[in-house]
Amino acid sequence: MNVKFLNPFIDAVFEVLNAETKLEMERGALSLESDSFVTADVTVLISLVGQVEGSVFYGMSTSMALGLVTRMMGEPYTQFDSLAQSGIAELGNVITGRASIKLAEAGYESTISPPTLIEGSDAAISTLDRPRLVVPLESELGDLKIHLALRERLDVHKTAAELRTPAAPGLA
Amino acid sequence: MNVAFLNPFVEAARDVFLAETQLDVIRGDISLETSAFTADDVTVLISLVGDVRGVVMLGMSVETGLALVERMMSQSFATFDRLAQSGVAELGNVITGRASVKLEEAGFEADISPPTMVRGKGVTVSSLEFQRLKVPLMNDLGEINIQLALEVSPIESKTENHIPIVAPETSDPNRSA
Repeated sequence: MNVKFLNPFIDAVFEVLNAETKLEMERGALSLESDSFVTADVTVLISLVGQVEGSVFYGMSTSMALGLVTRMMGEPYTQFDSLAQSGIAELGNVITGRASIKLAEAGYESTISPPTLIEGSDAAISTLDRPRLVVPLESELGDLKIHLALRERLDVHKTAAELRTPAAPGLA
Repeated sequence: MNVAFLNPFVEAARDVFLAETQLDVIRGDISLETSAFTADDVTVLISLVGDVRGVVMLGMSVETGLALVERMMSQSFATFDRLAQSGVAELGNVITGRASVKLEEAGFEADISPPTMVRGKGVTVSSLEFQRLKVPLMNDLGEINIQLALEVSPIESKTENHIPIVAPETSDPNRSA
């Protein structure tokens, strides 16, 4: 995990949360994890594909999610219904999209995937061979944890299916 | 959800199972789902971006996952450890990679993301506004559910990542305000 991928996300999250929710966030201590992590109530997963690739997770409690949607939409939400889910997923989308623009400015072009929402605590999420940089953010509404499992592109994925075994030398 | 996306995945899964486990698979009934689904024990998620975008999920029980990696690696596994997880994730990677080659032949070029693995029965996974096509594949090792939540990319999103928040047009009648 390259630390230069970190700041674009931190800048993006501060800018987007400030614009959409007027929420003040405070960054806690970073950590690097390689084991699987246990989910909070709500996790938004977005993948990046391009010169930088991997996955980004935004984890939070249901009350934090409801607090964020309430501020974004300007009306109270007490249930994490489909509209609230869509709002939280969209927030992840906008933060990641903005971070990807900053990454592109730094020379790492990428395309982001549509968001996937994982609900339910106590599931284990593993990014396998990609360690995650974990950024905890605290606010008066609750905590938001960003997990970045990103790396510079390895040109092996899609082409793995197409790889041919090299011909043995000496055999015509 | 375009049904044209289905066959590349079913064919790719069959090719890969034959190559890796020497076992054929039988396809079960296909269903189209819109609501969030409750995850199997083990779910591998891989995203696609390009002409077609969305997420592909492979779900199975721990027993099936273990049976698969035992067969693939010709060794026994007592627990679903990191090596076993990596084997199942790699299977998802190879199937999706192969499917993306077939999609490209059909005119839809797409790149795939590295895999993410979710373990834990009972969590719900939602692809939000994307409908999912669910295809169960069965063989002696167990059942593997492939779920495709894919769509043809809107033209603007191929080059533009930032999508502004759009105010909801309709409010949900079930929502308690």
